[in-house]
Amino acid sequence: MRCLRMLVRILVLLYLAGAPALAQTLCQPNASNGYRVRISIKTALGNQAYEWNENEMFLFRATMAFAMRRYYKTETYNVDNIIVCNQTRRVSFWFVVISPENPTMLIPKADVEKAVSMSRHRINNAFLLTDRTLEFLGIYPTLAEPVNPDTPPWLIVFGVVIGAVFAGIIALLVSSLLQKRRKEKGMMEDGQDEEDRQMKGVENGINLDGIYNRGFTDDDRFTKL
Amino acid sequence: MGKDAARAEWDNPMQFVLACVSYAVGLGNVWRFPYLCQMHGGGGFLIPYMLMLVLLGVPLFYMELAIGQKMRLGSIGAWRAISPYLGGVGMASVVTSMYLCLYYNVINAWSFWYLFHSFQSVLPWAECPVNSNLTGPVEECERATPTQYFFYRETLDISGSIEENGGIHMGQALCLLLAWIIVYLFIVKGVKSTGKVVYFTATFPYLVLIIYLIRGVTLHGAINGVKYMFTPKMEQLAKPTTWINAATQIFFSLGLGFGSLIAFASYNQYNNNFEKQAIVVSMVNSSTSIFASIVTFSIYGFKATFNYESCLERVRLLLLNTFDLAEDTISLENVNHWIAELNRTHPEQFASLGGRLETCDLEAELDTAVEGTGLAFIVYSEAIKNMPVSQLWSVLYFIMLLLLGMGSMLGNVIAVITPLSDLKFISHYMSTKTLNGLVCLFCLLLGLGFTTRSGNYWFTMFNDYGATFSLLFIVLIEVITVCYIYGIKRFEKDVEDMLGHRLNWYWKIMLAGVSPILLIALFIFYIVNYIQGGTPTYQAWNKELGKSVVTEYPPYAQAFIGLLLASSVCCIPLTALYTYCKKRNLASGKRERTVSTVSA
Repeated sequence: MRCLRMLVRILVLLYLAGAPALAQTLCQPNASNGYRVRISIKTALGNQAYEWNENEMFLFRATMAFAMRRYYKTETYNVDNIIVCNQTRRVSFWFVVISPENPTMLIPKADVEKAVSMSRHRINNAFLLTDRTLEFLGIYPTLAEPVNPDTPPWLIVFGVVIGAVFAGIIALLVSSLLQKRRKEKGMMEDGQDEEDRQMKGVENGINLDGIYNRGFTDDDRFTKL
Repeated sequence: MGKDAARAEWDNPMQFVLACVSYAVGLGNVWRFPYLCQMHGGGGFLIPYMLMLVLLGVPLFYMELAIGQKMRLGSIGAWRAISPYLGGVGMASVVTSMYLCLYYNVINAWSFWYLFHSFQSVLPWAECPVNSNLTGPVEECERATPTQYFFYRETLDISGSIEENGGIHMGQALCLLLAWIIVYLFIVKGVKSTGKVVYFTATFPYLVLIIYLIRGVTLHGAINGVKYMFTPKMEQLAKPTTWINAATQIFFSLGLGFGSLIAFASYNQYNNNFEKQAIVVSMVNSSTSIFASIVTFSIYGFKATFNYESCLERVRLLLLNTFDLAEDTISLENVNHWIAELNRTHPEQFASLGGRLETCDLEAELDTAVEGTGLAFIVYSEAIKNMPVSQLWSVLYFIMLLLLGMGSMLGNVIAVITPLSDLKFISHYMSTKTLNGLVCLFCLLLGLGFTTRSGNYWFTMFNDYGATFSLLFIVLIEVITVCYIYGIKRFEKDVEDMLGHRLNWYWKIMLAGVSPILLIALFIFYIVNYIQGGTPTYQAWNKELGKSVVTEYPPYAQAFIGLLLASSVCCIPLTALYTYCKKRNLASGKRERTVSTVSA
């Protein structure tokens, strides 16, 4: 009995020691079911950039576990299910996701992709980054649906301007109509002035801007006695 | 309108000066002069430019104003009065102005289009639109740039060549309609309404230019552009094309030969001092060109620096990602140093980069000289989209373009309407308001042709051939007519009559000697250039490649070019012939009548 318990203990110890090693062999650069992540903190945040350290890596693994939980709608995923390897100074690394039921089985690439796409916004926000600065190489961000308003905005501005122009035309027509009516009233009172003004001669295209000499009008048809 | 009513007049001489300024200061000052300045050696180009202004521009401007003010008629009546055989000169001016009216307002339509599209949170030419399955940007936009895509696809919906016609672009048609309605409003009451409008169209563009100057020189990298422009490259002065381009620019910038100046001056008081005004307007026009080119070059510098730094950023990212270095090892300043370093230390990995590594060159970015609509609508809008608060700058810029364009349109339309309204048989049948309306309607309907899918190619054809050659010919005949057929002595007496003092020796030498010689030289150069140039070509937008390719005009288009040139130029000899025949018939008819009276 004691030998059996010791054997189990040794086996458990070996397994615990070997599991990470086993997990590490699952995570390799260019792994068939893994993705490469590239993070550009300084580009995104400039002066307020934080340092990438083990804690940040822990947060990444936790966020990925959250994404897997959300996708599969289950609560079985944990930080241990996300294996990370090959971290560089650039801050880029590879990760794979192992199944919580079977530690030797990797979650297929397509499922990981769908999980990431679904929670991409949450993942980005956890790190104060964007689609461009937190890159999952091979997973393309879905572009936002273009907003198509019913009336294109330019048509609205056009409508305003052409309305103003038509208002101007109507104002012009009305004012010229009023002016004409005022002139007609004026003409009935002052008929003589109109006649004189029309008697200016145009000779060889040159306008004679002289004052018409009334001494030569024939309004005095009847000689004064 | 009673018969022989007094001719309308400007309210005061200031309106006349502002009208001339508004007409002369147009889009060419903004988009042609900076290009020429860059092509022909920066600051050094000012020397031939100023020289040509003094030798060619001011004397011819003076001559046209003098004719208009003396004859008090539009171009047809004025030239007929000067010499009955050369009334065709006026007709040729009217035909050329008509062509100009047809296509020039299309530019205003585009300005309206861009202006209306500026009222959005994201400028539509700032980003590529997404394609139908939301995977990425539209392909055509990816191969070209977003600004080019917006201009060629969304504004023009351009076809692949001049032969492929298409439907009318409704948005463009609406904008063109708006442009013509506004032009009609400006000219509806003749000089009474035009005189009030020019206060605004002549002065407001300067306000916008000053605002843009302040914004432009404070932009990051603007100093590179201004330095590039003003660094004189004196060796360019040795090339004859520099001098020819300077002369051509002065010539077209002042708007000589269209008949607009004659029309404007015909509404002057008889004793108006046009000599001073001619000098003032020419100087204002040239200074505006130089001022506008400072603005343009500071914006060029900004755009070039922006592109250069974006290029450096892309190279930096590429190096960081390929060699997995920490982010802060390479900065924008030491990119080139690192390229050399990495090439030395990791040659195979460096070689694997291959074609993806771009060479970033600020000089090359500055060298991309563009003129015309390409500058105004593509390059400028690209620069504007990168400015902070880009919507405001976009609105301001396109309002300025509109005012410049509208101001010039006023001159163009008045050049057509004034001679027509002076013709007895037209003024007898309809009032000026109706005539104005008919001319605007006619130009609008024909101008709709420029809003079709191949419309831009026809526009370019009209722009390149409609007015250039004919104007040189017209002005050459004008100068020779005034100086030698009418006689410089009679001209002198007329000017003395109007101004009160005789012609200066400067005017006499320029008008009678220097200007005709320069014009003949220009004329010969144009003909030689045209013959040597081979088949005329144009830039066709290729959808697949995402850029313009040089294409030859098809035969019917070449025939149309010939028609454009011939239709205005032929007016002169044909009218001379017609007048000659009429005079002969009149003379022989008189003889017959005298005989019959005697016999009766």
